[in-house]
Amino acid sequence: MVGMSEVPGVGLAKGLAVTLKTMTRRSHTHQYPDVEPDLPPRSRGVIALFEENCTSCMLCARECPDWCIYIDSHKEEVVLPGAARPRQRPVLDRFAIDFSLCMYCGICIEACPFDALYWSPEFEYAEYDIRELLHEKETLREWMWTVPAPPAHDPNGEPAKEQAAAAARQT
Amino acid sequence: MTGTGQDLAGSAGGALREVTVGTGTGLDTADMVLNIGPQHPSTHGVLRLKLVLDGERVRSAEPIIGYMHRGAEKLFEVRDYRQIIVLANRHDWLSAFANELGVALAVERLMGMEVPERAVWLRTALAELNRVLNHLMFLGSYPLEIGAITPIFYAFRERETIQAVMEEASGGRMHYMFNRVGGLKEEVPAGWTRRARAAIGEVRRRLPDLDHLIRRNDIFLARTVGVGVLPAAAAAAYGASGPVARASGLDFDLRRDEPYLAYGELSVPVVTRTAGDCHSRFEVLLDQVFVSLDLAEQCLNRVDQISGPVNVRLPKVVKAPEGHTYAWTENPLGVNGYYLVSRGEKTPWRMKLRTASYSNVQALATLLPGCLVPDLIAILGSMFFVVGDVDK
Repeated sequence: MVGMSEVPGVGLAKGLAVTLKTMTRRSHTHQYPDVEPDLPPRSRGVIALFEENCTSCMLCARECPDWCIYIDSHKEEVVLPGAARPRQRPVLDRFAIDFSLCMYCGICIEACPFDALYWSPEFEYAEYDIRELLHEKETLREWMWTVPAPPAHDPNGEPAKEQAAAAARQT
Repeated sequence: MTGTGQDLAGSAGGALREVTVGTGTGLDTADMVLNIGPQHPSTHGVLRLKLVLDGERVRSAEPIIGYMHRGAEKLFEVRDYRQIIVLANRHDWLSAFANELGVALAVERLMGMEVPERAVWLRTALAELNRVLNHLMFLGSYPLEIGAITPIFYAFRERETIQAVMEEASGGRMHYMFNRVGGLKEEVPAGWTRRARAAIGEVRRRLPDLDHLIRRNDIFLARTVGVGVLPAAAAAAYGASGPVARASGLDFDLRRDEPYLAYGELSVPVVTRTAGDCHSRFEVLLDQVFVSLDLAEQCLNRVDQISGPVNVRLPKVVKAPEGHTYAWTENPLGVNGYYLVSRGEKTPWRMKLRTASYSNVQALATLLPGCLVPDLIAILGSMFFVVGDVDK
């Protein structure tokens, strides 16, 4: 028959030998719900909000390619003792990310000039109803606790900009 | 009106007319029109094939595309160059890194931007790792489609090893978002090149398992050898490229013939076959994985010798100057082209994609007529396409 190997059945036997060999090895399966997966710190699981840093400047919401960030804010006057005029302070009323729309690109995190947004490898937030994926600032703030420290950069490359800024401040 | 009968309405005109409607009443046979898809497990997505069958034999086949059209090109026109990458890495979800790379290369060329050397070598390494991931997917899914369930587990074991390396650098498992205009998003983590090399070594050591399991399997050979032969002339006429064209003997690989990134400094062995059947397409894919692993390792060795930044400092708003350019890359599935027209705005005026899968699928119209229905699945799977890449 066309395409048969030199001796019929050699191909099959080779395949069975692989199966036999693999049978004697340890399995590669991870017992997921019982054993947590080991995710790298850069893993893009969910976006966490460090609310204290947010100035409600709306840059993230404007840069988002599918506009899944909702921000409401108002200005508050703060009277500082000794200052001539009362200062204006932005107050964040609402910060929500609709994870049913989010494309997990991370542009909001890159765009934020105040380091208020972070990636977290946390991924266990599936819902039965798509509407439940709209998460408000309280939930986003809670995820902040799951944000890992960023990995060190390759010594051949440039250090992270935070590192460079810290080194510049020290000198 | 059913069955055979006399058209009485016709009698008003005088003469009686006999009209035969339906089948199964006489000895005459009629061809059957069968739709495969749009929802069919063997079409990896939503490709519809309209077949005219004579018994088990395919008389004619028409691929009907467009069920997954998402208007990516139109959306590019209202997205800035960073946001485009989000969309560009999604049309062919198995070669996300290669897709974002093409966009970045086109924009960089139009802006006349010099990309740092370290970024160029890292990009080349990652592009080759992405090629391995893409090919492993097809090496697993193709035997699955024609009834061999085991290879996919081996393919996914290797995929997972490479995937972990990609995730460590970019944070993503599918849509890496690691390219930026002017380089990469950020530096790779310390020790990453070492771990990437270890992963490559591991995959290279275990890949013969997959090879022995399926390449010379007698049943697999019987299903694929001599089936769906695409002659070189037909492949060229349809604009097929990548592994599909190289299996037909078209010795064309942009990595060697029109080097981009760092391919000019590497010697790229181009895997070709001449038979042009399903089995040679599969073999090209399998052998390319070995080649890509070697290339990725060479790139990583170079990355370790080069220090410096991996991206260039960009202005707040990236605007490509007025003009147009065409960049093309050797994507895992074939030649991808990016025609970028800019009018000096922060969004492109037009960005046309030429995708490999689109051209490869067109060849189905000549490949399928004359084959049997079970062979159809073997041929369809061996054309290695992603429906998202066809419809964009």
